[in-house]
Amino acid sequence: MSKKIAVLMGGRSLEREVSLASGRRVSDALTAAGYRVLPLDVTAELVGTLRSERPDAAYIALHGKYGEDGTIQELLEFLGVPYTGPGVVASALAWDKSVAKHVFRERSIPTPAWITLTADAFKEMGAATALDLIPDAVGGFPVAVKPARQGSALGLRRVDSAEDLADALLMALSYDTAALVEKWIEGTELAVSVLGDGDSLIVLPPVEIVPTRGLYDFSARMDAGDVGFFSPARITPEATREAMRVAREVHEALGCRDVSRTDLVLDEDGRAFVLECNTSPGMTETSLLPMAAEAADMSFQDVVSTLVESALARAESGT
Amino acid sequence: MGTARIVFDRWHDRYAERLGGVRSSAVRDLFAAASRADVISLSGGMPEVSRVPHDEVAKAAREAVHHEGAAALQYGSSNGRLQIRSLIRDLMAEIGVRLSADDVVVTAGAQQALDLFAKTMLDPGDVVITEGPTYLGALQAFSAYQPDIHCIPMDGDGMRMDLLEAELERLGPRGAKFIYTIPNFQNPAGVTMSPERRRRLLELAREYDILVVEDDPYGRLRFEGGHMKPLRSLDDEVVYLGTFSKIFAPGLRLGWITAPKPVLAKVLLVKQAADLCGSNFAQVTAERYFQGTRWRRVLVELTRTYAERRDAMIAALEEHFPPEATWTKPEGGFFVWVELPPYVDCASMLAEAVEHGVTFVPGDGFFPDGRGKNCMRLAFCYADPEAIDEGIKRLAEVVEDRLELYRAFAAAGALPTGEEGAA
Repeated sequence: MSKKIAVLMGGRSLEREVSLASGRRVSDALTAAGYRVLPLDVTAELVGTLRSERPDAAYIALHGKYGEDGTIQELLEFLGVPYTGPGVVASALAWDKSVAKHVFRERSIPTPAWITLTADAFKEMGAATALDLIPDAVGGFPVAVKPARQGSALGLRRVDSAEDLADALLMALSYDTAALVEKWIEGTELAVSVLGDGDSLIVLPPVEIVPTRGLYDFSARMDAGDVGFFSPARITPEATREAMRVAREVHEALGCRDVSRTDLVLDEDGRAFVLECNTSPGMTETSLLPMAAEAADMSFQDVVSTLVESALARAESGT
Repeated sequence: MGTARIVFDRWHDRYAERLGGVRSSAVRDLFAAASRADVISLSGGMPEVSRVPHDEVAKAAREAVHHEGAAALQYGSSNGRLQIRSLIRDLMAEIGVRLSADDVVVTAGAQQALDLFAKTMLDPGDVVITEGPTYLGALQAFSAYQPDIHCIPMDGDGMRMDLLEAELERLGPRGAKFIYTIPNFQNPAGVTMSPERRRRLLELAREYDILVVEDDPYGRLRFEGGHMKPLRSLDDEVVYLGTFSKIFAPGLRLGWITAPKPVLAKVLLVKQAADLCGSNFAQVTAERYFQGTRWRRVLVELTRTYAERRDAMIAALEEHFPPEATWTKPEGGFFVWVELPPYVDCASMLAEAVEHGVTFVPGDGFFPDGRGKNCMRLAFCYADPEAIDEGIKRLAEVVEDRLELYRAFAAAGALPTGEEGAA
């Protein structure tokens, strides 16, 4: 009898719609690969359904809060359901951009200078009186302001001068209790996906992102018409190697397994700066990882089947 | 016990492309969660139909069957029965619009008129000008025909004519298919277009040779101040949409459209394709209900009820809402529009509001382009004054929580200089 795979999607996150699109596509691919697929929405009934249906493994097609921050991973460990993607710790590290950047810095992985400010620092400690210090702390304008924990670039703003800084911070803090102010690196935006881990690790070719409206923000991410992709990226072989090397380091530094997608910027001198790492990358028709896989002659079905196989293998080996 | 299992729509890739623009259902999901009895709804624009005398409606419906059963149960003419069109002619005369019964097509609510008119006029990419914010249902009706919707900001006197003029200048003569406006107690902003602006709007429309569509569902629900002349009474070329939903009941689905004769003829063709004809039964019932004068007393009572609720909402806002919030003070209609500091994302507050036991509609739904995030529409038409006070109190707690951060920035003299939103 073929294995039963629960595909977890939806939920209450701001990225619900994207997740449903990813989940549908993953479900179709797994069905085509011969699995029995159980598509599940993340609702109050989730645990009950998992207990009664007893799937052999869960494919996590959730994005954003609860799906990408370690919450669902911890729950599945407790229920004894093997799942695809990075484990609890790697998910939690990657989800908080500030924590992840500290890890990068410790491992000497280049990441733009930044500071993190929490809502409480403003409410309780008067941090708003120190806004004038921020530009110097990160090396001057322009800067990117974004919530520390939020996916799909929700709440992301580019700020070019001091007068817009407060506005951008308030915006970012409406999505999370902490905000990052990060030096803006001019250059080529790349997304590099990594599959597997250890000996099986594969780095996929970088995909280049060219926003047609200046910023690859949430609405551009949801609408392929607003953004141009180049896969493979239009960069030199050296730059390609460098980006792939850095993405691999990120994957290993955070302790990821199965899959990750590292977003980075290549500056004029060919240096790669890591912005963030996603542990449950989008799997829709317009998503970056499937695009990269295609460039590497891997079919979408191969990618998701491989992810499920490694989750099942972990169950058998008891790791 | 329920299940988390998802059943996919097998036909998801078979739908027409023009439906691609349909918005995410996140807000709708939240409203579904808000159907608990203890949640106070300040979201829906539902008329207080309990004040409509049910015995009168029963009598009208009974008469419809007994006296005109053969007609009431049969198909009718596509433009509607002559009797109801004559009634509409008389109602229009009362607000200063002179027309004949032949200038009217009866529709299934004014909402159908919006759809039929959009279907008649719009090709993909055509420009439509609306107020910003504007009626959500109009945006939905128009969007199915893939226009490019440009919205013009408002102030306390309605659509800003200087900005409209600038837009028309950019677009050039006949650069838009039509200008859509709700001049009285606008949904959602609650503001009324001043007589000067009305005249100016018609001048500009003539100068640039563009049709004006006047949607007037709330015009007869005025609490104070003098009656304002409808655009249609100043210019025969104006397309006017009316409805029985607010002066009688929305359950009958009766509205109407008047337009220049050739335009109306096209709309009628589209109407025939859509549903052959409206409900004769509903039309006969309405004709009977509007015989005599009792409906007038009911309407006066209903308007008084809405006025009390408006007062309750404004008083509650003044008492409970933080000083950073501003709101409109409508002289009629159903809605108050609240504006918060520019960084506040009201949609992100909805889940918390539902937990606190109150609902509202986030402002960005009333714009075609994502503006209005820092605004909310509050409906005072449906909850009684005590519930309104309690609802506003609950909502204020949620808003207050968000504004704490804003105040920390203000105290440090670091407030953003962001521009204020519309209305």
